[in-house]
Amino acid sequence: MLNIPFGPSCGRYCDGLSRRQMLRLGSTGLFGGLSLPQLLMAQDSPATPRSAKATSCIFIFLEGGPPQQDMWDPKPDAPAEIRGPFQTIPTKTPGVFFSEHCRECAKISDKFTVVRSHSHADNGHSTGYYYVMTGRKPTFPDGENPIPTNDVFPSLGAFVGKELGTNGRVPAYINMPHPMSAGGPGFLGAEYAPFVIEADPSQPDFEVKDLGRVNGLSNGRVELRQKLLAGLEQERRRIGRAAAMSTYYSKAYSLISSPEARKAFHIQSEPINVRESYGMTQIGQCALLGRRMIEAGCRFVGIDAPGWDVHFNCFPSLSGDLIPPADRAFSALITDLDQRGLLDSTLVVMMGEMGRTPRINAQAGRDHWSMAQCILFAGGGVKSGQIIGATDAQAAAPISDPVSIPDLLRTIHTLMGIDSSKEYPDPLGRPVPIVNGGKLIPGLIA
Amino acid sequence: MLDRPEASQQVLVVETVGNQQLDRTHEVIYAISDPMIAHVDHEGMVSPRSEGTTQLLIRRGAEQVAITVAVTGFVEPTPVSFQFEVQPILTKTRCNSGGCHGKAEGQNGFKLSLFGFDNESDYDALVKETRGRRVNFSNPDSSLVLLKGSAHVPHGGGLKIARDSPRYDLLRRWIREGAPFNSPADHPVTRIEVEPSELVMQLGTTQQLRVTALDTSGRRQCVTAAAEYISNAPQIITTTESGLMHATDIPGEAAILVRYLDQISVCRITLPQSNPSLIRPLERNFIDKHVGDKLVRLGIPPSEPIDDSVFLRRVSLDTIGTLPTAVEARKFLTDTDPNKRSRLIDDLLARPEYADYWTMKWADVLRTDKLKITPQGTVGMTRWLRAKIAVNQPFDQFATEILLAQGPIQSESPAGFFKSLDTPEVAARSISQLFLGVRIECAQCHHHPSEKWSQDDYAGLVGFFTGVSVKKLPNGTDAIVARAGSDQKHPRTGEPVKARALGAAAADFTGMSDRRQAFAKWMTSSENLFFARAIVNRIWSHYFGRGMVNPIDDMRATNPSSNEPLINALVAHMKDRNYDLKAFTKTLLVSQTYQLSVEVNDGNKNDNQNFSHALPKAMPAEVLLDAVCQVTNVPEKFNGWPDGFRSIQVWDNRMPSYFFRIFGRPVRASVCECERSNEPSISQALHLLNSPEIQEKISHKRGTARHLADSSLSDDEILDEIFLGTVSRFPTIKERAVLRQAFETAGTDRRSAVEDVFWSVLNTKEFLYNQ
Repeated sequence: MLNIPFGPSCGRYCDGLSRRQMLRLGSTGLFGGLSLPQLLMAQDSPATPRSAKATSCIFIFLEGGPPQQDMWDPKPDAPAEIRGPFQTIPTKTPGVFFSEHCRECAKISDKFTVVRSHSHADNGHSTGYYYVMTGRKPTFPDGENPIPTNDVFPSLGAFVGKELGTNGRVPAYINMPHPMSAGGPGFLGAEYAPFVIEADPSQPDFEVKDLGRVNGLSNGRVELRQKLLAGLEQERRRIGRAAAMSTYYSKAYSLISSPEARKAFHIQSEPINVRESYGMTQIGQCALLGRRMIEAGCRFVGIDAPGWDVHFNCFPSLSGDLIPPADRAFSALITDLDQRGLLDSTLVVMMGEMGRTPRINAQAGRDHWSMAQCILFAGGGVKSGQIIGATDAQAAAPISDPVSIPDLLRTIHTLMGIDSSKEYPDPLGRPVPIVNGGKLIPGLIA
Repeated sequence: MLDRPEASQQVLVVETVGNQQLDRTHEVIYAISDPMIAHVDHEGMVSPRSEGTTQLLIRRGAEQVAITVAVTGFVEPTPVSFQFEVQPILTKTRCNSGGCHGKAEGQNGFKLSLFGFDNESDYDALVKETRGRRVNFSNPDSSLVLLKGSAHVPHGGGLKIARDSPRYDLLRRWIREGAPFNSPADHPVTRIEVEPSELVMQLGTTQQLRVTALDTSGRRQCVTAAAEYISNAPQIITTTESGLMHATDIPGEAAILVRYLDQISVCRITLPQSNPSLIRPLERNFIDKHVGDKLVRLGIPPSEPIDDSVFLRRVSLDTIGTLPTAVEARKFLTDTDPNKRSRLIDDLLARPEYADYWTMKWADVLRTDKLKITPQGTVGMTRWLRAKIAVNQPFDQFATEILLAQGPIQSESPAGFFKSLDTPEVAARSISQLFLGVRIECAQCHHHPSEKWSQDDYAGLVGFFTGVSVKKLPNGTDAIVARAGSDQKHPRTGEPVKARALGAAAADFTGMSDRRQAFAKWMTSSENLFFARAIVNRIWSHYFGRGMVNPIDDMRATNPSSNEPLINALVAHMKDRNYDLKAFTKTLLVSQTYQLSVEVNDGNKNDNQNFSHALPKAMPAEVLLDAVCQVTNVPEKFNGWPDGFRSIQVWDNRMPSYFFRIFGRPVRASVCECERSNEPSISQALHLLNSPEIQEKISHKRGTARHLADSSLSDDEILDEIFLGTVSRFPTIKERAVLRQAFETAGTDRRSAVEDVFWSVLNTKEFLYNQ
């Protein structure tokens, strides 16, 4: 059986004179023969024709670790200390059951697929997050890691942004409503860092940083400033990075000045019934803004939805603040994309860095459990309406089709038409593939 | 001489025209007088057909040459050896590359060692595992290695070994002979020769390479078809799989790495400009001589020298990470002392900001990370660094003190470095990369494919650091202790490997309680080939924007420096000055090469490695923020810090800051300077163009713009002040005309006019980059 899904990739990675070889010696710098302007050109060129369906991805990250058995993998027959207090409800898919607080998703279970058998061995938050986003075992201890820009290995979103480039006026890779702590560009450099919308789109005064009109500046002054700057720059030739910076200046200016781009960020112009259908919550409005970004040409929207680390008295917060908003955001997003004809070209993934312990602890909470987690996939060439994999009677470990993080990442890249075995030189000049190995999640791709 | 059925011999045809050697290998016409004995293709590759002797005829126009070809070993060929003949096929066809079966977990159950460094395990994988499937003695053609390799059954890697190729024949004969590991005729290859090994090529021409392997029996064998070719500068020279080099139209130098079995060799090519220039930079010291020699050899003309204002700004940002003020700029520009540049360098090297800035730089690569070594440890290490740099401690002593660090990590000492290094292995490879410029990390798992370092060398180096450990103190903090270490085990065999430094004999630890002492002694000894070279190249790279060896911490034969006489002269100079970094720095800065413009001419616009012009440098995040604060006269308020501290003084590498984050400040997770990003991004541009933070600094009521607007200075004088403070020069007539629009636009008051001018200058690339 062949594990490699499409022919051209083989040629690229096993070929005699691959890019890897050309880059290995590195005397021409970290990125070998490609100068920045060339890289920019590569980024600017239109996406090459691809057979993959997904042209963009919305990735909703439930940070802290969502409980699999209280959401998508209920175990109604398990003892109470494992089962938990939530009831089980049927879904639109015969024979498939979710927890009672996933009722919106239950109504459209034919539109997405749940992988119940995701499993890995890193039980830390920052390390698990890093592992999910990069596919690399972290080299740092678990703990705070708040400045993501320069972490060593590039994240999923940075690679997707680099490989596909923007499809419109907004940046190719966006994070909201704050940076994903493991979402940095690693050795790809600041150029591929996410453009971060550091504001909560559910707030009435929501505005994107550095994109709005600076206080006290009239239109006339903004235009005058541009005229002065253009006049000053006119005389000078730029080389190297300074030339690249000029390109970013014109991109930034077009972001500020293009009504189309500004409108994409203006979530307030969305009809109120649409906004309410996503829920007026942070995760709901991020999902909606994510859709607007995709429409404006973004390739990868990473939504960080924190608060899922429920060690203590977890059930009231799960049934109140956490599960229903996520359930609603996900179902509304899928429905909305479907109605707009965008679901086929948009891959939607929802997951966290881990699941939670089967047994409820003494503080009525659940602790870290990376051995089992559910991942939701929709759109973008995913075969929907399925349950893939299963866990044991306690939702503690996969009993079929275990799915690893490299499997997950390889599947996402493949759905987006990216050859996950393509190699880049790491800071030591060693060729490293975008994803190290991994297999496609069986049966997921339509 | 072709001595087995699968042998081949590359012919090189060279025409001598004047003093030039022109490659005609692909232009002549070849023929074999007896085609039953041998065959020749149009690229000059001769292969045998049956035993006997014949003539190879080479014709070009009216000229003809005949060469005798002898074919032997056809009837009773020498048995094929796995380790010397099969292994090169697996490498050449990239079966054992990192993207295929060579990766750590193999590919689809078939795992080979990366680039074939482990003969035994590869032999087992191919011959012993799934016995009879990968190699089938009774029916060689149904062996999986041939079926898959020739893509006769579906193969993820596609076609690698065509059915009618000599490689296929060799593999099939090897299997038919029982797939032995050894052959009675096995003689280890001791070296490979590449012809030509050094040459000058013309733009757009080609040159065939020929590679010959020599073994211990003295046998010479043409391995042109089996060797691998990798160009270190594909924008200058590309190569094909058969060793044909193509010169592009970009002048410069390139090295082609040739690899066969575990042997490597290099062919160096110079590609001069087609209309060579003979202009050299003015010769102020030996640097200019070596750079000039190289430029003349390549025919590349240097850029123009810079004026006083560019010099002042460049040298200030480079040495002290600090912009000159308007007052300093005016003073320097009006100074008539012909020696003023030299004096300025002395003044800058004596300033306290020099110590601040270089402390920050060393703290980055010494991994002074608050999360790793505690805030107190970070303060302690930062203070230690600053004290040493302020007194200009000779670099060999500085490095030795770091290497031998021990004691509480929260003391004023470099002990925290070893806390960050976690294990003896991380310590060995980090120290090798940082102080020797050698990346030994790859050799942990495999023989480095383009380097001589093996797993033995790796384990030998680790042996110096096995005695270092972290001890918990009663107060809960950590201390570094050095006990007697032990030899490190070989990563594959598990046998202890005697501690030895790179290229040195086994270390002698007699009378030493800390093995690191032996390493420090070796490292800083005058015979050491790595240490001085690494620091010379590191400092050079800081001031010139690119190392002579690049990346700066990847020194090896196959990544040569762009100017060997220059780096050698600088190494001698560094030793001569006893590792006095300030004296060394001054030598760099007074050179004409340092004082060339970033503006390129038609002859040097493609040159990025020979220092024919300066390279614009991005300002580090901290330096740029300090510059914005200084020119606006509005200091940044750092949470929890007293007023007046500058970014380059902030030890807290984890302090949350939007500005630092988007401008790429490192988190100090590695000893590589490359961790600091200097690439531009859209967030940076947006922030500078359109952020409330920058606007607040510009329009601040105690800021420069307000001060100037409310002063009695004329519009033109205000422009002078703004330009002097930001770009260290007076505005040109054209710039004045452009900016006067701000004052003349109807309905704007003087304050907003000055703000708008200020904003415009702050957003020029001239301000944002160190040019």
